[in-house]
Amino acid sequence: MSDNKKMNYYEILEIPVNASFFEIRHAYKEALSVYGEDSLSTYSLFSEGERENLLRKIEEAFHTLVDEKKRSEYNHHLVENGVIDPTELSREEKQKSIPIFLAHNSIDKNMFFKKVKKKVEESSIRELTREIMETALISGQDLKRLRQAIGIELDDIFEVARISISILKAIENNEFQNLPSLIYLRNFLKSYAEILHLDPEKVADSYIINISLLQK
Amino acid sequence: MSCIYPIGGGKGGIGKSFIAANLGALLARQGNRVVLVDLDLGGANLHTFTGISNIPVGIESFLNKSARNLEDVAVPTNIDHLSIISSVNCSMEITNLYAAQKIKIINALAKLPYDYILLDLGAGTNYNTLDFFLSSYEGIITLTPEPTSVENAFKFIKALYFRKVKQILGQNDFSFYSKQVEMNSNALEVTSQVIDSVLERDPAKGERLLQELRKFKFKFIINQFRKTVGAKLGEKIEKVCNKHFYSEFTFLGNVCYDERVHDSIYSRTIFVNKYSYTVSAIDLSHIVKNLQGNMETAALRTIGHYE
Ligand SMILES: Nc1ncnc2c1ncn2[C@@H]1O[C@H](COP(=O)(O)OP(=O)(O)OP(=O)(O)O)[C@@H](O)[C@H]1O
Ligand SMILES: [Mg+2]
Repeated sequence: MSDNKKMNYYEILEIPVNASFFEIRHAYKEALSVYGEDSLSTYSLFSEGERENLLRKIEEAFHTLVDEKKRSEYNHHLVENGVIDPTELSREEKQKSIPIFLAHNSIDKNMFFKKVKKKVEESSIRELTREIMETALISGQDLKRLRQAIGIELDDIFEVARISISILKAIENNEFQNLPSLIYLRNFLKSYAEILHLDPEKVADSYIINISLLQK
Repeated sequence: MSCIYPIGGGKGGIGKSFIAANLGALLARQGNRVVLVDLDLGGANLHTFTGISNIPVGIESFLNKSARNLEDVAVPTNIDHLSIISSVNCSMEITNLYAAQKIKIINALAKLPYDYILLDLGAGTNYNTLDFFLSSYEGIITLTPEPTSVENAFKFIKALYFRKVKQILGQNDFSFYSKQVEMNSNALEVTSQVIDSVLERDPAKGERLLQELRKFKFKFIINQFRKTVGAKLGEKIEKVCNKHFYSEFTFLGNVCYDERVHDSIYSRTIFVNKYSYTVSAIDLSHIVKNLQGNMETAALRTIGHYE
């Protein structure tokens, strides 16, 4: 079986080097549906280690390519090493000037933020929020409970904050072995907290202390 | 030139024989000369799908030399242009076929004067089954949308690779390269490591090995498909196989589950003829179309090569 050791991020996600954000996100979801643990299409095909590797590569690819700065650094690196032809990248510029999808998406985003804002003002949610912020250490379950009470799907968070579903799940289930490195984790926690209208710094600190205690 | 399509898939009872018989009937309906060959030695039942119960001769006569050519033991079915070479009269010991007999059969298959030769194989991954499957570059893998069947299909593909790589490298080289890799308990995973190791130590040999593996244009069918199964399962498997194995894989289509398959076997009429207007029968004719479309594109590819 050939592995993807030598594949670049575009090959891993099976997208052209000038893929739009929409294409990248779609390819990422597709890849997770194929390589995820409960996927029938790869059932028993890989050893546990192989699957973990593949999923890690997919996460890496996604997080690099959706980040404009990281992506251009990465592209530069590929061009330097002769992996891709710089002309292949040229369509990228054009695509940026027709942000049909993004425009559409920002309307969705605004609607989403409005909905959340209205919901968190309800007394039951305010009560739950206070309860969570008063606990000494915030765990993934607390975040999940609040998220569900507000009626937010993981998909929604993925849409607006671009945190992958598998990382969100790892955060909510306190699966420290599947969490990204600390620096990423902090940022993800902060974005997540912001969506829930929680104090980002406090959530990040508290969560990280909690998880490090769990780890021991 | 005839097309040989072995039909395998690892798991038992998933519909390999059903698919073989019905594809055979559809191809014969187009006016092609078609022969079904029952190579499920020891578990032969393909004749039952075609509705014949009395098989006067079969592979046994060819093996014991009472028939000179394999084509002499083909028996016509009630369907025009469709014949069958059965192994139902083979002795119980046939499952332990001698290597020489196996080679004799494989060589004879290539000479059969038919347009389409469909080989119905048994379950499992024993050497006979693998070698019959590898006797053509265009084997068809059948599976059903259940984890157990998907698992066996992947196991089957890995076993094919193991067998083929060993064959190409020869016993000595294979053992040599196997020793270079870290042997884990799963013998099948060793294959890919052996390939990597050959590529590393002897790139020219490694490239020849890959070239040989790339000649295979495997196809697969998902049988007993149900609406509840996630859409695109076949497309996903196709993509994954093309990405992680060294050969070409084509998904030919789903065949829906239909209670009446059972009835057709009972009433000894071939399903696509008795129930021609069912979803499953239409699925099967799509598969025939894809199989033939595939041939055309394959032909175009080779022509393109000379330009
Ligand atoms: N599409 C289908 N819809 C409903 N039933 C089916 C379908 N395909 C096969 N079956 C049923 O599954 C049973 C097994 O099919 P079949 O004998 O073709 O499997 P097989 O893979 O050849 O098995 P073996 O490994 O024992 O040779 C048949 O009796 C048939 O009734
Ligand atoms: Mg059978």
